[in-house]
Amino acid sequence: MPETITQEIIVRVFDIIGSSLGVSSDDGQKVHDKIAPLLREGQKVSLSFDRIETIISAFLNAAIGQLYGEFPEEKIRELFNVKDMSPEDLALLKRVVDNAKLYFKNRPQFDQAWQEELGREE
Amino acid sequence: MIHKLGTIRSTREGFERLAQLWSEAAPLFSRGLELDLSECDFFDANMAAPLGAVLALIADKFNRIEIVRVRPAIESVLRRNGFLTNYGYRPEEDAGRTSLPFARFQLDDERLFADYLKRQLAGKGIPRMTEGVGKVSQQSIFEVFQNAVTHSESRLGIFVCGQFYPHEQRLNITIADAGVGIRDKVRVYLRNGQVSSEEAIRWALQGGNTTRTGPRPGGVGLKFLHDFVERNRGKMQMVSGDGFYEYGNGCDTLRQAELPGATVNLEINTADTQSYRLSSEVTAQNIF
Repeated sequence: MPETITQEIIVRVFDIIGSSLGVSSDDGQKVHDKIAPLLREGQKVSLSFDRIETIISAFLNAAIGQLYGEFPEEKIRELFNVKDMSPEDLALLKRVVDNAKLYFKNRPQFDQAWQEELGREE
Repeated sequence: MIHKLGTIRSTREGFERLAQLWSEAAPLFSRGLELDLSECDFFDANMAAPLGAVLALIADKFNRIEIVRVRPAIESVLRRNGFLTNYGYRPEEDAGRTSLPFARFQLDDERLFADYLKRQLAGKGIPRMTEGVGKVSQQSIFEVFQNAVTHSESRLGIFVCGQFYPHEQRLNITIADAGVGIRDKVRVYLRNGQVSSEEAIRWALQGGNTTRTGPRPGGVGLKFLHDFVERNRGKMQMVSGDGFYEYGNGCDTLRQAELPGATVNLEINTADTQSYRLSSEVTAQNIF
């Protein structure tokens, strides 16, 4: 496993998507594609939301949520953080992160539970 | 074919009437539809969005559409929001700037929609709200739009219309698509061909549930929307197939026909001054 590189790189969302609106999955994917290789190299990353006015869950799911399918939680906690986010956007990010952890852990069980509740499996 | 459309409000009956229109006109191919509004004595402006979606589906089968015998008050509302200008009527100035005009977007028009929203929300109660609530309101609207982009497969696009009621301090916005509908997506995902529209809507509203597969998680947007409506004391309706959901009243079924695609109607309480922040112990440092 590569050693953690201590100097933090600031990745600016605005510069990647060229807009103050993080309202599409595709733009979120662009951000993800910048972050993931750095994390894979053990690089510390701070994702800056400076000048971002509006973000939605689909954007955050693509940018950040899918990291939980690629990296262990501990590694994300160790290497990744966000900055310049409004309190309301942090609240949304918390939902996205909590959901992503469950999504990658429990998806088949969730779906099975619904099949049982609907009770009419084919 | 002549179809007489009755009163259209944002209610189960209103959606039922639009579903009946679709049910009757769906078999038409390269014919004419005369939509007669002489028996329509009220039309909630935002309902032009699902009507636009139904008419687009009818027109897609090479049918010519005419809207006739519109009562003056309704004609005025539907000319002000630009809906009737798609059917040969002259535009009417919206002097009070209370309407969010009828607009049709393609699935990759996210930024055009963002421009529309920025332009149209100005002066419609949002600035009077605290910054946080205004922000969360806009997020909620984007969530609905993005949901249609991601899931609808609506070749004919996404239809948007709204109305601001300054005295009531309410903003209504409706986003409709002409796509596959919620039930079919959930049936395919759960591999269960007997899921009803009502069950599919209930499933979609549950946090964590998404028909999305692959590396990007989903299942946050509609739950976020639902929680926002609850806290904001707003309203939300979601209609697809014969499923009709209304926040606070749960799910119901359209009794006579099915509405194609999916429609979400959101009513935002613009007098809301609550905080939508996290509890103070959660910070950017301990979120992960």
